[in-house]
Amino acid sequence: MATAAAIVATPIEPEQASLWSDAWRRLRRNRMALVAAVYLTLLVAVALVALVWTPYRMSAIGIAPTYSGPSAAHWFGADELGRDILSRLMVGSQVSLIVGLGTQLLVLAVGVPIGLMAGYFRGWFDSVVTFVINVFYGIPDVLVAMIMVFLLGPSLNNIIIAIVATRWMDMARLVRGQAFSLREREFVEAGRASGARPFKMLFGHILPNALGPIIIQATLGIPSAILFEAFLSFLGVGVQPPTPSWGSMANEGVQAIQYAPHMVIFPSIALSLTLMAFNFLGDGLRDALDPRSRR
Amino acid sequence: MASPILQVRNLRTQFATDQGLVTAVDDVSFDLYPGESLGIVGESGSGKSVTALSILRLVPEPGRIVSGEVQFRGTDLLKMNDEEVRDIRGRDIAMIFQDPQSSLNPVLRTGYQIEEAMLAHKKATPKQARERTIELLRKVRIPAPERRVKDFPHQLSGGMRQRAMIAMGLANSPSILIADEPTTALDVTVQAQILELLADLNHDLGTAIIMITHNMGVVAGLCSRVIVMYAGQIVEQGPVEQIFESPQHPYTWSLIRSIPRVDALRHERLRSIEGIAPDLLRPPSGCRFHPRCPFRVEKCFTDPPPLIEVKPDQMSSCWVTMDRARKEMGADDLVDIRPGAGSGVHPPEAR
Repeated sequence: MATAAAIVATPIEPEQASLWSDAWRRLRRNRMALVAAVYLTLLVAVALVALVWTPYRMSAIGIAPTYSGPSAAHWFGADELGRDILSRLMVGSQVSLIVGLGTQLLVLAVGVPIGLMAGYFRGWFDSVVTFVINVFYGIPDVLVAMIMVFLLGPSLNNIIIAIVATRWMDMARLVRGQAFSLREREFVEAGRASGARPFKMLFGHILPNALGPIIIQATLGIPSAILFEAFLSFLGVGVQPPTPSWGSMANEGVQAIQYAPHMVIFPSIALSLTLMAFNFLGDGLRDALDPRSRR
Repeated sequence: MASPILQVRNLRTQFATDQGLVTAVDDVSFDLYPGESLGIVGESGSGKSVTALSILRLVPEPGRIVSGEVQFRGTDLLKMNDEEVRDIRGRDIAMIFQDPQSSLNPVLRTGYQIEEAMLAHKKATPKQARERTIELLRKVRIPAPERRVKDFPHQLSGGMRQRAMIAMGLANSPSILIADEPTTALDVTVQAQILELLADLNHDLGTAIIMITHNMGVVAGLCSRVIVMYAGQIVEQGPVEQIFESPQHPYTWSLIRSIPRVDALRHERLRSIEGIAPDLLRPPSGCRFHPRCPFRVEKCFTDPPPLIEVKPDQMSSCWVTMDRARKEMGADDLVDIRPGAGSGVHPPEAR
C-alpha cells in the first residue's frame, strides 16, 4: 500500500528540454552538420590564430622559390612572388569570414524587418518595398557593387556594404513571402483577437515561425558573399593587396595554372570546403530548429 | 433584467470580391446580457463567423464593416481607434477559434502564449502570469498543468489544445467569450467535454458566451438563447427551449429536424435541407429562404419578411409562421422536403 502510494507520488518526469538544447541534441545526431560545425570552428580558430601568428609573414616576398610546389618548409607551396601560401590562406580566412558573416548580419538587419513589415501590413508599404526590390534586381549586382566601392573607397567595410546592397533583396523577399503566408494562419488571428500589438505579432509570432528559412537563407548567403568578394577582388575593387583573400589568391593562381596548379588548388579547396560546411550546417540547423519535426 | 453588455445594431459587413459585392452580414441586431450564453446558428456562409469577427473588428480583407453599431458597455467599438479596440480584445472580449491545431503558435510554448495574453494587457507581472497560467490550465482541466505549461502545442492532444485556447481566452477574465465553432475539429467525446467545460465556466465565472456553431445539438446543450442566421440575416431568435419546442421559421424547423437522432428508427433516413445555401452575390429576391422553403407562398418570392416578435421573446421573419403552417398545412405530419421523398415522417420505402 505504501509502495503503491510512493509510486503514484513520483510520476516519471518527461524530458523537458528547452527549444535550444533540444535543437542541439538533434543537431549532434546529424553527422554532416556536426562535421561542418567542427570544420567551421577550426576555421574560426585558424583565423584567430592568424591574427597573432602565421608560419611566415604573409606579405614576405621571396622566402621560397617563386611558383615552388608544396614542401616540408612550405606545406602549400609558394606563389608568383615567392610568398608562403599557407600563411596567406590563414590570413585570407579572416577576410572571408568577416565578409561572409558581416554581410549576412547586415542583410538580416535590413531584410528581416523590411520583409516582415511588407508581408504583414501589405498595402502601400508592400508595394514600395516590392518595387524597390525589383529595381535592385534589375540592376546588375556587379555594377552596383563597383559603383559603391568607387564612391566609398575600397576598404573591407565598404566592400561589405556594397555586397549587402546587392544581396539584401533575397532576404527581404523571402521574409516578406513568409510573413505574407503566415499572417493568414489562424494563430495570427488568435493573437490579434487577444489584443497583441503589431510589433509583438511581427517579432514574437511571425518571425519565430520563419526562422528556419531565414537561417537557411543566411547560411547560403555567407558563401555567396564570400564568392562575390573574391570576384570583386579579382576586378581590383575588392580587398587591396597585399591583404590576401581566397578569391584573389585563386585568381592569381588561375594565371599560373599550367605550371603551378597548387596556387589555384589550395585556395579553391579552402573556399569549397567552407562553402559546403556552411551549407551542411544550415541544413542541419533547419532540421534541428523546427519543433514540428522533432521526434 | 440587467442591461445588455453588448448591443449589436444594424450591423452590415460586406466583402468586395472580383465578382461583386457580397453582403456577408446584413442588418444584424441583437443583445447579449451579462453572464448569458447565446448561440448563433447557421450553415456555412450564413454570416455567423463574420458577425463574430465584426464585433472585434477582425474582419479579414477584403471585408469591411459598412454600417451599424457594436455597443460594448455603452461605447461603440466601431467608432474606437485601433489602440482602444486592441485594449478591448482579449481583455474584455476574448475569442477562441475553430481549429486549436492552428490557432496556437506552433513554435512557442503553450504556457508562454497564455502568459503573453496577460502581459499584453499589463494585467500581471511575469511571475504572477506564470502562476495564473497554471491555475487557468487547472481550471480548464488539463492534467499536470505545472508540466504542461512548458509543452509545445504539438505535444498536446487536440482536446488539450482547445482547453489551452480556452485558458488563453479566459486569461484576463473577459466579460465576453466568443467561441467560433470550438468543437468542430474535435472528436465527439472530446466535444462533449469541451461543451461541459464551457457551460461550467459560464456558470462559475459568469463569463457571457457567444457560441458560433452549425450544430443545433451544441446549442441545445449549452445555450440559453439562440439566434438563427440564414444568408447573412437573422431569421429567428429567442430562448432555446421555446425555439426547440416551437420553431417559427421553416429554416429553424428544418435545422432542428436535421439533427441526427440516436433513438430514430433505423429505417429513417437522415433529413437534410433541400437545395444549397444561396449565392450571396445574387441573393434570392423576397425571403432569402424561399427557394428551399417547403411552405412558401406567393408573397415570399417578392417581399422580404420583417423580423417581428411572434411569441413572447421570440422573433421570426417569415410570412407563413410555423404556427399557421402547422394549422393550415399539417406541416409535422405532411411535409417531407427531401427530394423525391414521399410525404410523412416515416418514409414508406424503407423496410
